[in-house]
Amino acid sequence: MSEFFAMGGYGQYLWPAFALGFGIVILNVVLALNSLANAKQEARRRLEIPQ
Amino acid sequence: MAAWTWFHRLGSPPHVFAFARRWTPWFGGFAAVAMLIALYGGLVLAPADYQQKDAFRMVYVHAPTAWLSLMIYSTMAVAAAVGLIWRMKVAHAAAAACAPIGAWFTVAALGTGMLWGKPMWGAYWVWDPRLTAELVLLFLYIGYMGLRAGIEDPAKADKASAVLAVVGIVNVPIIKFSVDWWNSLHQTATVMRMGKPTMDGDMLWPLLLMFVAFASYFIAILLIRLRAELLRRERNASWIREVLS
Repeated sequence: MSEFFAMGGYGQYLWPAFALGFGIVILNVVLALNSLANAKQEARRRLEIPQ
Repeated sequence: MAAWTWFHRLGSPPHVFAFARRWTPWFGGFAAVAMLIALYGGLVLAPADYQQKDAFRMVYVHAPTAWLSLMIYSTMAVAAAVGLIWRMKVAHAAAAACAPIGAWFTVAALGTGMLWGKPMWGAYWVWDPRLTAELVLLFLYIGYMGLRAGIEDPAKADKASAVLAVVGIVNVPIIKFSVDWWNSLHQTATVMRMGKPTMDGDMLWPLLLMFVAFASYFIAILLIRLRAELLRRERNASWIREVLS
């Protein structure tokens, strides 16, 4: 298992790269959902639709 | 006739909104499963490279993010062009929805590339044609969003930003072919090249699956952001009352 995480000595570069890449994948899900929730709330307010 | 009806529906915000809501979970769900399988294939099943050893596994995060940064820009430019030519509001909304996603994936491509560059080239950053052009791509995305944010009238913002997006598309082939046109430190194309990929099948399938997963993921995120854009743009539309109440 520790051999897997060492990645032949490249682990110190490899894992941060995967964390960054897939961190941005997850972050974009959160940002998109937030943006939709805000737009819904704003449209409800603008059109005076009850919550 | 069918094609015309389809195109007409594509311009109808309530139709697009309903379509986006229905399909987001399918594209998102498929992307999540495919990403996990591709990660297992790339990190566990694929053998180490004979030259780069285990560092080659960077490809499974770097190549899909870099490819997505270009694909999103192309999608944005095409949507912007459609918006300019046919004055289609939904197309402008789609272009605007693309920009933040594309900017983030350009950051991912640059960051993962730096982490791959350090052990392979000895430096996090070099002013190489491929890297420099990718950095220009980030500035194009930021410029596009800045321009939109700076113009208050939505119709004017759509038009001005669409022109920038369309003109900026020249950077996409520059990034793609930079490794062939100039003496680049960056390696040349392994998969998306004329002829067969220069990669063993055991290494190739997780990468191809990762590309498909990222494409599906992008569609899911784009559909969520497109819904948000449509809600913000439509004023007093009765369909919004229907979908929100």
